[in-house]
Amino acid sequence: MQYKSQAVAKPYFIAAIGLFIGQILFGLIMGLQYVVGDFMFPAIPFNAARMVHTNLLIVWLLFGFMGAAYYLVPEESETELFSPKLAITMFWIFLVAGALTIVGYLAVPYATLAKITMNSLFPTMGREFLEQPTITKLGIVVVALAFLFNIGMTVLKGRKTAISLVLLLGLLGLAVFFLFSFYNPDNLVKDKYFWWWVVHLWVEGVWELILGAILAFVLIKITGVDREVVEKWLYVIITMTLITGIIGTGHHYYWIGTPGYWQVWGSIFSALEPIPFFMLTIFAFNMVNKRRREHPNKAATLWALGTGVMAFLGAGVWGFLHTLAPVNYYTHGTQLTAAHGHMAFYGAYVMVVLTIISYAMPVLRGRAANCEKAQVVEMWSFWLMTVSIVFITLFLTGAGILQTWLQRMGDHPMSFMDAQNAIAIFYWMREGSGLVFLIGLATYVTSFFIKGETKAI
Amino acid sequence: MFSRKGGGAPLLFYREFPNMTASATPEETCSQETDGPPGDLAIWIFILAEMLVFGVMFLVYAFTRANQVELFNASQLTLSRTAGAVNTLVLITSSYCVVRAVSAIKQGMSHLCANWLSGAILLGGLFTSIKLWEFSEKFSAGISLESNDFFMFYLMLTFFHFMHVLMGMTILAFVTAKARRGGYSAQNHVGVETGASFWHMVDLLWIILFPLVYVIR
Amino acid sequence: MHFQSNRFSTHVWLILTVLTIATFSIGEAGLAGKGIMLSLLAIAFIKGQLVANYFMGLRQAGWFWRGIIIGYFLVVGGMITVAYLIGLK
Repeated sequence: MQYKSQAVAKPYFIAAIGLFIGQILFGLIMGLQYVVGDFMFPAIPFNAARMVHTNLLIVWLLFGFMGAAYYLVPEESETELFSPKLAITMFWIFLVAGALTIVGYLAVPYATLAKITMNSLFPTMGREFLEQPTITKLGIVVVALAFLFNIGMTVLKGRKTAISLVLLLGLLGLAVFFLFSFYNPDNLVKDKYFWWWVVHLWVEGVWELILGAILAFVLIKITGVDREVVEKWLYVIITMTLITGIIGTGHHYYWIGTPGYWQVWGSIFSALEPIPFFMLTIFAFNMVNKRRREHPNKAATLWALGTGVMAFLGAGVWGFLHTLAPVNYYTHGTQLTAAHGHMAFYGAYVMVVLTIISYAMPVLRGRAANCEKAQVVEMWSFWLMTVSIVFITLFLTGAGILQTWLQRMGDHPMSFMDAQNAIAIFYWMREGSGLVFLIGLATYVTSFFIKGETKAI
Repeated sequence: MFSRKGGGAPLLFYREFPNMTASATPEETCSQETDGPPGDLAIWIFILAEMLVFGVMFLVYAFTRANQVELFNASQLTLSRTAGAVNTLVLITSSYCVVRAVSAIKQGMSHLCANWLSGAILLGGLFTSIKLWEFSEKFSAGISLESNDFFMFYLMLTFFHFMHVLMGMTILAFVTAKARRGGYSAQNHVGVETGASFWHMVDLLWIILFPLVYVIR
Repeated sequence: MHFQSNRFSTHVWLILTVLTIATFSIGEAGLAGKGIMLSLLAIAFIKGQLVANYFMGLRQAGWFWRGIIIGYFLVVGGMITVAYLIGLK
């Protein structure tokens, strides 16, 4: 690596993968609970498994983003990280706090967790994805501030590039919008309105900036294309992201008690949200096509291209399928939502983190790229995970369409549970695909331990 | 590239391309011999995107109107057609000023260029003033986004457009400042054309908006 | 490098002004109906072409770009027409 302090990225990446494994294990538990309702009850009830699954996802992606920043910012800024010590300290604080929170979800009933963490002093618990005790949330804010400070100071003292600035903007936005998790109005409509200021403006807003910046960085490194070209693409992409995504928040405001005009504006703007993802795909393929060098890290190239495609399919296409208000009226909160959610998160954010890890880890371990055998195994894991996610998505899409039809349309709509029974076959097939995903993940981890001849950096 | 040894290495689906020289260079100065619209290509992607978004909004307006023709016709009469028409003339004239500005810098006259641009910005300011007057008129009459679908669209469409006028004025202001300090020349004035193109788009959108919202019934 | 004379630009501006006044007059006269709507759209199309070709300078930019703008006006104008006709029923 070019700068010694980039080494702090390594523990972040390792923790990310570790938590990823945990996330998938709990995903599998839930997948089975969908069809064998008492599985692991009462030791791990469904709601506890769900909290663990979703929270681990977010936390491991955050570790991934932080690792990515610690790796690429010194290189972009052409200066050492402001404080490697701070980075390592925050790493342990974040990891321990996160682990304790997960233990809390599993070890005690949620109400007890609320009591022992003194939630009543400043209540922020009880909402989807934001189940963390208030003290954990405060810890996240501290970690985020320290992280932003560290990265910010590094950018300030060095070269400022479009990539580092876009990344910083995205990370800043991530931190700012997280603050809305502290806003807990009594009015249910307002509660839901602002909840999306965390969730939507994260994943359909500032996180896309982070995604774009990381992908742009990796593409410059592996293709050698002119920085100016890459940066111009990046600016266009994030502009489209913000144009479509900000008012696109309205596609979550159709049925929650907000004024009816959101059905118009949410539909119009969110319908265009696939555009930046489409551009991201073209961007990735175009840069690789126009490459000026043959980088030895083929696996990273595959991840980069795959991110573009899967993000477009999962976030863009599947998102579009149910974004228009007249459609969403029927599909809201069904398995179609889950289908989109899984492919979108995997395609956009899981894959971009795996992309940067794929590119950076070998460098952090002292080589330009892993040996051929290791790369082949890694590329196998790419296909296993990606294809199995596609099948998970297809099965859940089938489940969702059937569920919508049976439960909300036709002359004799079924009850929720009756419809769930009718779509059980899809759940079984989804679980099977999930097992293949786990195999892919295991393959992925294995690739890190395969030894062979490597090229120097 | 790896040889495919052993049990089926997974596909790397991109082909080997001959080593190409940089095929995408930073935008060249000035020249628009045949291809390529004036100004930076990136702004044109932005322009097309904006036209797409507004185009969709125009169509949603039109189709929503189709179901509530009487309501739309009646509500439309409460708009100030004069304000709309004057604003159309204002924008067209400001676009003309921008054209003159580009013409000036093509002849290396950067001060003249800056002056024409200032004129365009002033006219932009006039547009926004008239628009603000229209808005305040409506608001004091108790009209809001929830009054009815026509007013919802009228307010949102013209508000979105208004924001783009402001954006355009900001862009032109930066270009004007640079022109004034001699930052552009006859050979290198991509920035002027870039800003100009954006401003013309703002004009173009209003050219559709005015008849659509204010007149067609 | 193409150079458009200032006189020409001024003439284009004049035409645009006249067309705008025409649109305004139609509005003031309270005219309505299919024919009027099509006329207004046609006027907008012409104005749009003038701005695109002679103000934006697309005349020199090749048929790809000119085509996009023409296509845009045709599609948007066409769909507005369709919507209007639906409303007439």
